[in-house]
Amino acid sequence: MAVLPILKFPDPLLQQKSAPVESVTPDLSSLIDDLLDTMRASPGGVGISAPQVGILKRIVAVDVSASKRGSQAINNGLLILINPEILAKGGRQIVREGCMSIPDYTANIERAQWVLVDALDRDGKHVILESVGFEAVAIQHEVDHLDGILFLDRVTSIKTDLFRRKKYR
Amino acid sequence: MGHFSVSVVGKDRPGIVAEVSRILFEQGCNIEDSTCTILSGQFAMILVVFHPKMAATGELNPAFEEVRSRMGLMVTVHALKDEEVVHEKAFSGAPHIISVYGADRPGIVYMVAKELALRKVNITDLNTQVVGSKDRPVYVMVLEVDLPEGIDMKELEREFDRIRKELSVSITVRPIETMEL
Repeated sequence: MAVLPILKFPDPLLQQKSAPVESVTPDLSSLIDDLLDTMRASPGGVGISAPQVGILKRIVAVDVSASKRGSQAINNGLLILINPEILAKGGRQIVREGCMSIPDYTANIERAQWVLVDALDRDGKHVILESVGFEAVAIQHEVDHLDGILFLDRVTSIKTDLFRRKKYR
Repeated sequence: MGHFSVSVVGKDRPGIVAEVSRILFEQGCNIEDSTCTILSGQFAMILVVFHPKMAATGELNPAFEEVRSRMGLMVTVHALKDEEVVHEKAFSGAPHIISVYGADRPGIVYMVAKELALRKVNITDLNTQVVGSKDRPVYVMVLEVDLPEGIDMKELEREFDRIRKELSVSITVRPIETMEL
C-alpha cells in the first residue's frame, strides 16, 4: 500500500497508449491498492488511471461515492475496471474537469451523459455496467488516459473553456 | 518594445484576418493573444500583440490606414502598460454560472450587471441571445462570474428576487463544480 507520485503534463508517458492486461494475477492487486491509495490521497479525487503513475496498463479506478456531488447521484460505488471498453454512449453534458496530471488548469469538457462499459473487475471477472452523469464523466476521463488522451485534447475553445486554477485545492 | 491591443470591427467577409495579420506581420508584431466572433453579421476581433521596438500607439496605428479605407474596417490600436498584460485568466473567487431568461425587454443585462458590480463580482464571460419565435421572443443571458469571498448571498438573492418580479425573468445561480480526476 502506497501513495505513488502522479506524472504531470507534459510527461510523454501521459500521451502513450496503454497495453491491455493479459491476465489478472495477484501481483496486479497491489498495484490496484496503490492506485486507490493515490486517488484517495488527492483531495476530492474520484478517479485514477494506471498511466498517471507511469504504468502503461489498461487499469482505471473510479469512486464517485467518495465525493459530495457524486454520492448524491446514481453510482456504482468503487469500480476497478481492467481493459475497459466503452461499448456505447449517449447524450451530452458539459462538466468542469480537473486532472491530477494537469494541476494548473480546469476545463469545460463535453462528455456523454450515459455509457455502457465492458471490463474485467479486480478478480478478473467479466462485467458489463451502465453509468450515468457524474460517474460516466469520470469513466470517460479515465479511459481517455489509457489512450493517451488528456482533457486538453478535448478542449474546443481555449478562450472560453480553459481556466487557470488559482490554487490546487 | 511594448504590447498593444488591436481591435477590429467590420461587416463580416472572407479576408479580414488575412489582411490584419499581414499588416501585423509586416510591421514585425507577434500575436500573443487573440479571439474573434461574429455578432449579427459584424466581425469583431481583438488581439494583443507585442513589438520588439515600438511602444507608442502612434507608431503602429498608421499601418492600418489602408484597411480602414479599403475594407471599411474600424481598427483601434492602444498601447498597453506591461503590468496590464496578464496571459492567463485567473480566478480570484468562486466560479459560478448565472443564467437569466424571460420575455425580451430592455434593461435585463443592466439590472443584473448593476447588482453584480455593486458587490465587486467580476463577470468573466457573458453571452446574450434572443431565441424563440418572432412574436414570442425569449431573451437568454448566461454569465460566468467570480463571486468574491465573503459575499452575502442571501442579500444578493433578495436583489435578484426583486429583479425577477420587476422584469418577470428567471435567474439561477449555480456553482461551477470541478470534478477532480
